[in-house]
Amino acid sequence: MKIQYIFPILFLVSILASCNLTQDVEIDLPDYDRQPVVECYLEPGQPYQLLLTRSFGFFAPFDTSDGQFLENVIETGATITIRHDNKTITLEEGMVFNPFTFKVFNYGSSEIVPEDFDNEFELDIVLADGETITGKTTIPVKVPLDSVVIEFESDAATDTMARALTYFTDPDPSIENRFRRQFHWNSLIDSMPQQDFLATDQFAENGRIVFGTGFDYPVGDTIYNTVFNLNRDYSDFLESVVISIQSNGNPFGQPAAIDSNLGGTADALGIFTGLSYSREMTIIEK
Amino acid sequence: MRPTKIIVLLLCLFSLTSFAQEKFTLSGVVTDGESGETLIGATVFVTEIAAGTTTNEYGFYSISLPANQPLKVEFSYVGFQNTTKEISLSGNETLDLGLGTGVALDEVVVKANSFQEQLRSTEMSVESITTKEVKTLPSVLGETDILKVIQLKPGIPSGGEGTTGLYVRGGGQDQNLIVLDEAVVYNPNHLFGFFSTFNTDAVKDLKLYKGGFPPQYGGRLSSVIDVKLKEGNNKRFSGAGGLGIISSRLTLEGPIEKDKSSFIVSGRRTYFDLITRQVNKANEDVEDNQPIPDYFFYDLNTKINFKLGQKDHLYLSGYFGRDQFGFDNETFNFGFNWGNVTSTARWNHQFNPKLFSNTTVTFSDYRYKISNEIVGFSFNLDSKIRDVNLKTDFYQNLNSKNTLRYGASVTYHEFTVGRLKAGSDDGEISFSGGNEYDGMEYGIYLSDDWEASSRLKVNGGLRLSGFSNDGTFYYGLEPRVAANYKMTNNFSLKGSYARMNQYVHLVSNSGLSLPTDVWYPSTKLVEPQTSDQVAVGGSVLFEMLGTELFFTNEYFYKWLDKQIDFIDGAELFANDELEQEFVFGDGWSYGGEFSIEKRTGDLTGWIGYTYSKIRRGNFFGPKGDVMEGRYFAPRYDRRHDISVVAMYKINERFRAGATWVYGSGDLSWLPGGRFTFQDVPGAEFQAVVPSYGDRNTFRLPAFHRLDLNLIVKLGLKKKRENPNRRWESDLTLSVINAYDRRNAFFIFLDVEFSEGMDDGGNIIELPSGVAAKQVSLFPILPALTYNFKF
Repeated sequence: MKIQYIFPILFLVSILASCNLTQDVEIDLPDYDRQPVVECYLEPGQPYQLLLTRSFGFFAPFDTSDGQFLENVIETGATITIRHDNKTITLEEGMVFNPFTFKVFNYGSSEIVPEDFDNEFELDIVLADGETITGKTTIPVKVPLDSVVIEFESDAATDTMARALTYFTDPDPSIENRFRRQFHWNSLIDSMPQQDFLATDQFAENGRIVFGTGFDYPVGDTIYNTVFNLNRDYSDFLESVVISIQSNGNPFGQPAAIDSNLGGTADALGIFTGLSYSREMTIIEK
Repeated sequence: MRPTKIIVLLLCLFSLTSFAQEKFTLSGVVTDGESGETLIGATVFVTEIAAGTTTNEYGFYSISLPANQPLKVEFSYVGFQNTTKEISLSGNETLDLGLGTGVALDEVVVKANSFQEQLRSTEMSVESITTKEVKTLPSVLGETDILKVIQLKPGIPSGGEGTTGLYVRGGGQDQNLIVLDEAVVYNPNHLFGFFSTFNTDAVKDLKLYKGGFPPQYGGRLSSVIDVKLKEGNNKRFSGAGGLGIISSRLTLEGPIEKDKSSFIVSGRRTYFDLITRQVNKANEDVEDNQPIPDYFFYDLNTKINFKLGQKDHLYLSGYFGRDQFGFDNETFNFGFNWGNVTSTARWNHQFNPKLFSNTTVTFSDYRYKISNEIVGFSFNLDSKIRDVNLKTDFYQNLNSKNTLRYGASVTYHEFTVGRLKAGSDDGEISFSGGNEYDGMEYGIYLSDDWEASSRLKVNGGLRLSGFSNDGTFYYGLEPRVAANYKMTNNFSLKGSYARMNQYVHLVSNSGLSLPTDVWYPSTKLVEPQTSDQVAVGGSVLFEMLGTELFFTNEYFYKWLDKQIDFIDGAELFANDELEQEFVFGDGWSYGGEFSIEKRTGDLTGWIGYTYSKIRRGNFFGPKGDVMEGRYFAPRYDRRHDISVVAMYKINERFRAGATWVYGSGDLSWLPGGRFTFQDVPGAEFQAVVPSYGDRNTFRLPAFHRLDLNLIVKLGLKKKRENPNRRWESDLTLSVINAYDRRNAFFIFLDVEFSEGMDDGGNIIELPSGVAAKQVSLFPILPALTYNFKF
């Protein structure tokens, strides 16, 4: 074969072979001990509720045959109490699904979380196998929104796309405060947030913090601005969750172990935190 | 013993040897006779007295020889014809010499001499590569890359498929001192490490030290990569270049004043962007088309040099390179660029035949900038490190047994770490961040290359280094010693010890190298990193089946202290208190390296094998620890590494090259478990969160790959008809991954979903299983390049 033919043939073969650079492979992960997982947010004015599940080895099969995925992972038979201000609240086992928030909890109480930003809440869980989970938290103070300002690029009548600037004041400039910003468009619950990120007061100017959007929202639409004031534990936990999700599949990322704020003998994952946020609904008008 | 007594004793020893017999000095510069390029490491050997030396990095040599005795001085260099000069010194003499390129017979002798020089030298743990080897070996997409080829030598595993990241003897990627004409190059990568910043056409010499570091080098723990640019042909105007499938390059060089001054200009540019723009244009009307971002990189090397009389030589050189990444559409305008600038002004002065000096001023700048503009809002983030360095080195041929080298260096560092400026165009939203630091780094050193006997050579020295930053001052003594004992003419034993201090650190996560990794100074909290390395080994020159082979084996153990890592979940981006995220620990590595090399005949090449083990641990910092301080293996803890390199001259027209590499898979940090997380109301529902345990517990599948290269020389007939014809050209076909092995670039675990039904009979997506997915980088990948020179 003449050499001038070898080059194009090799080139063609390689082009054909250059597809499919991602493939399934079989690997053995190190042994994994399943861990209990706790999610408990204490929101003033809302009942005490807690989701107790158990983690799986990454390759464990999902049993979704009966369509009740969550029931296959929940942890039953636990005794759960929350102590606060010399009062002990027992969370009874029972599935609760909130159709407005799409959230599920398997332990709860009809008692309402008080608006107490000073005193600690203490969690005690005794699992069915006798292992324990403990946690402590407080409810951070609510940080009010100073204002939500709607702006247009120009005064022209044809300019109907607005942006929203959300202003609030750093509650204590002498310490590092952490926030979570959410921004929803049209629907609060059943749509993905347009913005959902963690922030600190690092970027406060004269004690004021502002979050903004692009000129993307038409007159007549509804927007929801939310600012959570976060406990440091909760912020660290959320950050580790985000990093874990983003690192899987990203060769440039560095994973992180889940930063839980739970104690006890059960080596549990999860978060027990007070939840405090300010939310404002705005209809865009010109 | 007091230091003053030691100095007196050493001076007495020197004096004893120097007054034993009347001697004079022969000195000069050895060059390539055709181009006038100085030759680094050329051998000067006098058979009658079995004494020799090599030219330094400026081509200068100086040797003390007995007076009034007829002697034959042989000059040799790989790829050049040996030249022998008969002399009899009645006084100090200067002999500058231009070597001619070798004919086939002489080539054998010259290459054998280069093995002999390796046997004689105290240098160990050193690897070098010639540009000819680089051009003969396969290259990714036709881009010859000197940094990738050096990774084929034992003890220098790469950072993984396709990257130029270097992890020398268990060191991290920030622990390599990379200098281009003596100016530090802080990021030697283009395109996230797929290509290096070094344009092979402009490079004269590359030397990599893995251990046994000479005292003139300091500032990094694990390796020194010293790259020297060509000086430019001072005999005639010439050029070289190439047209490839992703880039083109052109080098022009010539005399400014024949034999006295010359210039060289070398540039290359990729043209991915020209191709992708056409693809984007063609797909403009396609629904849901995602345009391909613009990307290209370019390099420019320049150098001029002037011979200012017999004793002075001035060199000015510079490098400028940038990677440009951009993505524009109707709503946003994203730009990301990064690159190095270096410049060097170098003055060589010969005080007398025994004393030579080099004084250098260098400037280095590495920066990246990310900018994004979304309607009414802009975001800019940049970081940089900038150095100005002044150093001076002296080479003194003290007597026939001792060659001294001493010097001093001072560097002013300027760091900008994560400077952020963001806000709306009308100023309503505005925030900024970032820090600026500066620091001074100092070094003085003294070393002696001492020929203790005809068999024993010792290179001993001491470096004193220091660093100051904002009232904090660190210093460290760095003893270095290397010895060579020649058991027989063909067998030598070597050993070395070196302590190194590192005062600037690269802030990088454990993932792959990114241009956004920033350099950070030592501070009150961040202490200098240190290492101690011991290496022993031996080399044998032997014949097998009529072929001369050179076998080298080395064993090393390295202790590392004040190592820097990060707490889990560290915020490295735009963090004003970055060092609070650091953790500080220690580590060690050990291993053995073996290579067997053949440099003569039509078939040349080497086989290398490295065994190594690396651990890091004991990491604690202001915000926490890593794995409660337990030790773990870093990602690049590769147990076995094999490389087989062959270059074969088929005939005058065809030349072939092949490389096969095998490595134990790198380690990966994969999630062992997963859990369900529903988050607060209003958040995106996260069904599955990976749960990561201990670091790097999973080893990727073994890596192996065969790459091939074929060079077809063109125009040989015309050359035969007209031997003075200067135009030469070839076609080079490279095939990377010839047997289409799918090596793991990385592995991730993917949750698969299938449709299910909820209680209300609605179809919903439910997780149904988990699969491990392996992403590979290179399929079989051919490239064709047209190269020319005149």
